[in-house]
Amino acid sequence: MNNLLHACGVELLKARRSKVPLFTALGFSLAPLAGGFFMIVLKDPVMARDMGLISTKAQIFGGTADWPAYFGMLAQAAAVGGMVLFSFVASWVFGREFSDRTIKDLLALPTPRRSIVLAKFVVVALWALFLTLIVIILGLGIGALVGLPGAGSGVFLQGILRITACAGLTLITVTPVAFFAGVGRGYLAPTGMAILLLVCAQLVGATGWGEYFPWSIAALYSGAAGPASAQLSLVSLAIVLITGILGLVATIRWWERADQTR
Amino acid sequence: MHPAIETFGLTKQYPAVKAVDDVSLRVERGEVYAFLGLNGAGKTTTIRMLLGMIRNTAGTVRVLGHPVPGAGNELWASVGYLVETPHAWPELTVRENLEVLRRLRPGVPPLAVADIIERLGLHTYADRRAGTLSLGNVQRLGLAKALLHAPELLILDEPANGLDPAGIVEIRELLRSLAHEKGVTIFMSSHILGEVSRLADRIGIIHEGRLLEELDIEEMEKNRRRRLLVETRDLVAGQAQLVSAGFSPLIDATGVISLTDTAALAHPEDVAALLVRAENPPFRIQLEQEDLEHYFLRLVGMENGEGI
Repeated sequence: MNNLLHACGVELLKARRSKVPLFTALGFSLAPLAGGFFMIVLKDPVMARDMGLISTKAQIFGGTADWPAYFGMLAQAAAVGGMVLFSFVASWVFGREFSDRTIKDLLALPTPRRSIVLAKFVVVALWALFLTLIVIILGLGIGALVGLPGAGSGVFLQGILRITACAGLTLITVTPVAFFAGVGRGYLAPTGMAILLLVCAQLVGATGWGEYFPWSIAALYSGAAGPASAQLSLVSLAIVLITGILGLVATIRWWERADQTR
Repeated sequence: MHPAIETFGLTKQYPAVKAVDDVSLRVERGEVYAFLGLNGAGKTTTIRMLLGMIRNTAGTVRVLGHPVPGAGNELWASVGYLVETPHAWPELTVRENLEVLRRLRPGVPPLAVADIIERLGLHTYADRRAGTLSLGNVQRLGLAKALLHAPELLILDEPANGLDPAGIVEIRELLRSLAHEKGVTIFMSSHILGEVSRLADRIGIIHEGRLLEELDIEEMEKNRRRRLLVETRDLVAGQAQLVSAGFSPLIDATGVISLTDTAALAHPEDVAALLVRAENPPFRIQLEQEDLEHYFLRLVGMENGEGI
């Protein structure tokens, strides 16, 4: 346990000293900003045109400007945007040791490799939590500034829980990305894998089998395919958990057993 | 007491190449063992197998009496290492890079970081980001990481790589004092053969994955070729005079008489006296010993520089 705590401290130090958390925070901040923008447009299209926020030729399609709709947008951002950003975070946390060739400093230590890998996952999880909190806090602020109707403690609680759940489901499914960071020995392979998974998630989601594909489940639950599919079955939850566990175990096994030539 | 390092039949077979082939070596405690070989000879693969970074396909490895792989992680508390060109976490300072390793080596006191910074002459750069350091200072940082926890055994891959001449001397003296005063066992690979001869007690020579020879420094001194070089006014006459006295002189490409007879090497003054008596006195007579580079190349079959 002490080893894990020390390793967590080390990984947090590396993350803190890097500019990558700042970039990911800026990236995730776009979600509530974009959501807020759409809410303004939906709330009063005429004013939006007068203010120059949208072109006079822009067609405004259906949608309501209220808190539940806004939370739905943020949940989709946490699921789909989270897949991109959390994968990027995992790629960086794991892949940088290979790209920077610092992996060899971590392989023959009294601290087991398993603790180092677990510490890296802890940092990815904390990082994802930090990004989710940014979306929630910034989202609440922007929603209040826009003056969205339909506020209420029940709506807020449900909205925040859904955003958190979508982020959590997404986070669990990025463990295989960490495995590919090891196998690919850098950032490139896991980033490519994350993009491939995202494309597959879209395709599988469109065929109607999304609830059985781990990387589609969070997006479906966020309501990206409509309110009818925004349910989380036990089977889907089990698929996500199994995927997360498999990714975690495979990453640990790879760090412990694969030949490390970098 | 177990030897510091012991391998038996150590082999690493990749699909297309056998990187290390049946290497059996033994490094006693307190010894400085130099592992010599050309690029691609198998030095780094062997070192990585000693450290459990690469799995051997055959044979066994024991480090400080523990099997590798298979030993618990506690073994590594007694081992410091530097593998290939050192690298550092670029966004961290020198001090933070060492602090990372200190935290991952439980039991190492915080003061050890400041101590090793001072010892390796890194105090000027202690709060500078590692990404901005020169190659020589990254090498110093790599050595600092290896020495941070005062290990019993040091496994160093090219420790003098990237250092300037003053740095090479400094690191050599540091390693010598660790070996002789603190009894630290050092297993090091090197290309700088002059350094090896100054520091090592024993040498292992690896070529194309196979351990060609293991010998101590005295044995190596004996095995290094020596010759007596003689220059006279009349080389041909001098050669004839030496032949008639029972020697086997050759005139080499540089126009010098070269003798390798044991009697000539043991008593060069007799050769000089003989030529003086024959009224063809030498104006230069010099005992020359094969340098370590030539000895090494002769051993690996590249005496004429082929393949280098």
